[in-house]
Amino acid sequence: MRATEVSVPGTKRSRYEAIRRRRLGRPSLLLLALLLVAGQALAQPAPDEWPHPLELQPPPIDYEPPEARQERLSNGITVFLLEDRTLPLVQGVAYVEAPALYDPEGKVGLAALTAAMLREGGAGELSPAELDIRLEQLAASVEASADTYLASVGFDTLSSTLDEVMPLWRDVLVQPRFDPDRLEVRRQRQLEAIRRVVDDPVQLALREFFYRVAEGHPTGAYPTLESINAITREDIVEFHRSYYGPANTAIAVAGDFDSDEMLARLEQLLGDWRVEVNPPPPIPPLDEEPDGTVYLAPKQMSQSVVVIGHPAVLAYSPAYNDLDVANHILGGGGFTSRLFEEIRTRRGLAYATASVVTQGFEYPGTFVAYSISPAQATHQVISLILEEIERLQSQPVDPAELSLAQETILNQSLFRYDSAAAIAQRSARVSLLGLEPDYYERYLDNLQQITAEEIQRVAREELHPQEAVIMVVGDPELFGGSLEDFGEVVTIDLE
Amino acid sequence: MRITSRVLALVAGLLAFGAVQPAKSQTADPARALVERVTEATLDNGLRVLLVEDHSAPVIAFNLMFGVGGLDEPAGLGGIAHMVEHMAFKGTTTIGTDQPLLEQQALAAVEVRALALAHVRDGGSPEEVAAAEEAFAAAQQRAQSLALPSALDSLLSSAGAVGLNASTGYDRTAYVVELPANQLELYARVYADVLRDTVFRYFYAERDVVRQERRQRSEDDPQGFLFEAFQDAAYVRHPYGRSLIGDAETIESYRATEAKAFFEAFYHPGQAVLVLVGDVQPETDLPLLERYFGTIPAGTPPRVRLPSEPPQKEERRVTVDYDAQPQIVIGWHKPTYPEREAFVLDLISALLSDGRTSRLYRRMVVEDGLALNVTTSSAFPGVREPNLFIFYGQPRSPNGPAQLEAALYEELERLRSEPVGDEELDKVKNRVVASTVRALSSNSGLAAALAFNELFAGGWERLMLDLEIYQSVTAEEIRTVARKVFRPENRTVGVLLPSPGQAAEVRR
Repeated sequence: MRATEVSVPGTKRSRYEAIRRRRLGRPSLLLLALLLVAGQALAQPAPDEWPHPLELQPPPIDYEPPEARQERLSNGITVFLLEDRTLPLVQGVAYVEAPALYDPEGKVGLAALTAAMLREGGAGELSPAELDIRLEQLAASVEASADTYLASVGFDTLSSTLDEVMPLWRDVLVQPRFDPDRLEVRRQRQLEAIRRVVDDPVQLALREFFYRVAEGHPTGAYPTLESINAITREDIVEFHRSYYGPANTAIAVAGDFDSDEMLARLEQLLGDWRVEVNPPPPIPPLDEEPDGTVYLAPKQMSQSVVVIGHPAVLAYSPAYNDLDVANHILGGGGFTSRLFEEIRTRRGLAYATASVVTQGFEYPGTFVAYSISPAQATHQVISLILEEIERLQSQPVDPAELSLAQETILNQSLFRYDSAAAIAQRSARVSLLGLEPDYYERYLDNLQQITAEEIQRVAREELHPQEAVIMVVGDPELFGGSLEDFGEVVTIDLE
Repeated sequence: MRITSRVLALVAGLLAFGAVQPAKSQTADPARALVERVTEATLDNGLRVLLVEDHSAPVIAFNLMFGVGGLDEPAGLGGIAHMVEHMAFKGTTTIGTDQPLLEQQALAAVEVRALALAHVRDGGSPEEVAAAEEAFAAAQQRAQSLALPSALDSLLSSAGAVGLNASTGYDRTAYVVELPANQLELYARVYADVLRDTVFRYFYAERDVVRQERRQRSEDDPQGFLFEAFQDAAYVRHPYGRSLIGDAETIESYRATEAKAFFEAFYHPGQAVLVLVGDVQPETDLPLLERYFGTIPAGTPPRVRLPSEPPQKEERRVTVDYDAQPQIVIGWHKPTYPEREAFVLDLISALLSDGRTSRLYRRMVVEDGLALNVTTSSAFPGVREPNLFIFYGQPRSPNGPAQLEAALYEELERLRSEPVGDEELDKVKNRVVASTVRALSSNSGLAAALAFNELFAGGWERLMLDLEIYQSVTAEEIRTVARKVFRPENRTVGVLLPSPGQAAEVRR
């Protein structure tokens, strides 16, 4: 957001060359005021012949977005294909229902480690080093990862080397070798990454927040030194055998190819993949009753990270559509949202503040509002966020504000269709996650019908500021007020 | 307006240099719509405009890039370019208020109160300071009551804008947005107005926002904190060593009049390139762009004389204590483009750290298990001026920065003594080309690359020429350049070490 370009801007400290602070001059205030008014007069307001921006009448856009072609391989894998000949590149991905949600107790991180090792541990005929070399010779990539709901194994290549790259991708998905030495490398790196989480206050706050919001449930679990150390190579082999199979997989391919040829290629590579997958492991229901506890992770910083929220609704439920629009107005709409305008634009109390409703499948998504603010304003910012949520519940939104949100979401929807890969991948994910294929179209229809009353109703029914979990990372000596004002305070020991 | 239009196989040309196995008749295949049409125009006021047609979706990526950034700031106003970038979103006389005259007076009053407050803080009594603060707050409140917050953002967002943003570097400032193609006139109306007539409303609240941004990036973030100290040590005179966002005290004392003066002095159309990539129609779009952008007066920016950095004569080391896991950054001074050595060092960077088979990744991350991650960059922190080659690594416990440093120097010694094999060199060249092509595959990526090359490389066409240069680099050249650059006396080492309990003192 309005970022400086370098990720690590440096600051001149006074060690070598003190930057002299400007001494204030002593001009007459009156004179200065006159100069200012005169200076303003020198600016050049828009010429009279320019239309006001609101008077512009853009021509309508007549656009039929491309749709991915849907096919089925002989073993049942659903495939989505979308040709795009703009550049000689092809991107493909297999989504597999082998997600972090399936991590067994005590072995959190298994799904992600399995996905990482598909790629890093060698595959088919190739050792890890040979696979690395082969892909780099081809200037192509194969990468795999797993999140809460899906694992994905993707490739990205020039179309000229498709026939060399796709078999490697197939081997990574189907015939991984899980080389033990590379597993240790990956394990040790992951342990180091876990040790470093506390160095990043935002990452730390989100990790702890999602854990507390879904305490005891795998949607909030995070890997620890113990859980990563507990995972064996046999666990990984077994996880792959249990959950990677045609019945659990959907594939999206987009780019520079002929669809009939691509379909034949996929059938030839994967048609004989016939393993049976296990049913999903038993997962407890998600306890949906947060109790307004305030969690504090003390850390010496000049800012505090404040995260406030609770479980919300399932992505399939009609309330999700309304809640998404309500959240757009509250904090999801970027620069024009209420949290941004109140906390950042008017008060200068944050560079980053917003709210989000995550999509939840099988288990409810989460409503999250956050702000990264001066430590001294911690108490004030928590109050401001809670007040903005309550205002959405107690007052109907202004018609102009509602139509701004509607127009923004509707007009931005065009960008959902500006990349063939994004279109094909969305179709594949939707098919695996059990959403209706016209889910998004219905969302846009609903958006255009929604009223201020419905926004207010969904805010009342689905937002719970009083019971929300409040997570604060920061220095409690500086907070400018007691966190007890917001609920019982539980201090988290980071050691 | 001067217009030249030419058809050129831009991306096809790039690909012809690349790929281990050259594509089969890529340029000959009529199904491949690789031929991009670039139309170039220069308005009478000096603004350069590039249009690139891609009609695959009814959207356009815009990039308005100024060759103005942190390097151009006067002493004592560090970070003002970034502050000005923030202010460009605050609207104009016609966008952002219904009562421009009243607001103008109210903003002048804010400025008077800001100055008065600064005066009393410089030696006034606590009562005087409190009174001045109150008057300043009241003046701000009055001005805010006359403003429509986020007016410019609302206009663009409701039109469907995505990726509305801006960024400031040492070298340049870029304003970016993507819009549905039917909103081209709105874009021109809004951005031309901003360049003619930005109103510096909400300035002092935004100054606080920038102060928060600095805390987030450079104070509460260990990497940002280390890099401040590192750059400060690596440069004694050149502004690449000073803070891009500005130090805390400087930010806290900015005034709207200074920021506006900087804006008016530097942001002229002749300093800028406007690139549109997407569903554009040059015949109709260029006149529309000219109607609005053509009215911006031409201007001449002040000449900025940058101090040259004296040659480094001995190794410099800086250690910072911070309550976080250890990190290390090492930098060597080097020439920038168009010097051939700069291109050679791009390849060296790829050789060392790009991909799983790169030398440092293989050795430090995989084989010896010294690091969580290692990266190198061949052009830090900018490219307009001679810059640094840097290495950055996060040690993997129980190893520390010293182990990474020792392993790195061994690898650099190998570069200096053994010629790189043909196969490895080809691999590296292919990776550099392939990553360039991928960066150009999105409208916004292509727009940014064209704007940057037009401003700093002597023309957007350099995109292709540069790839030819990479192809021509030899193993012997790599050895020669490595010998020249990676000398101990030319390096600066920055190390961050954990210091539990003491962090707060050190950090203030």
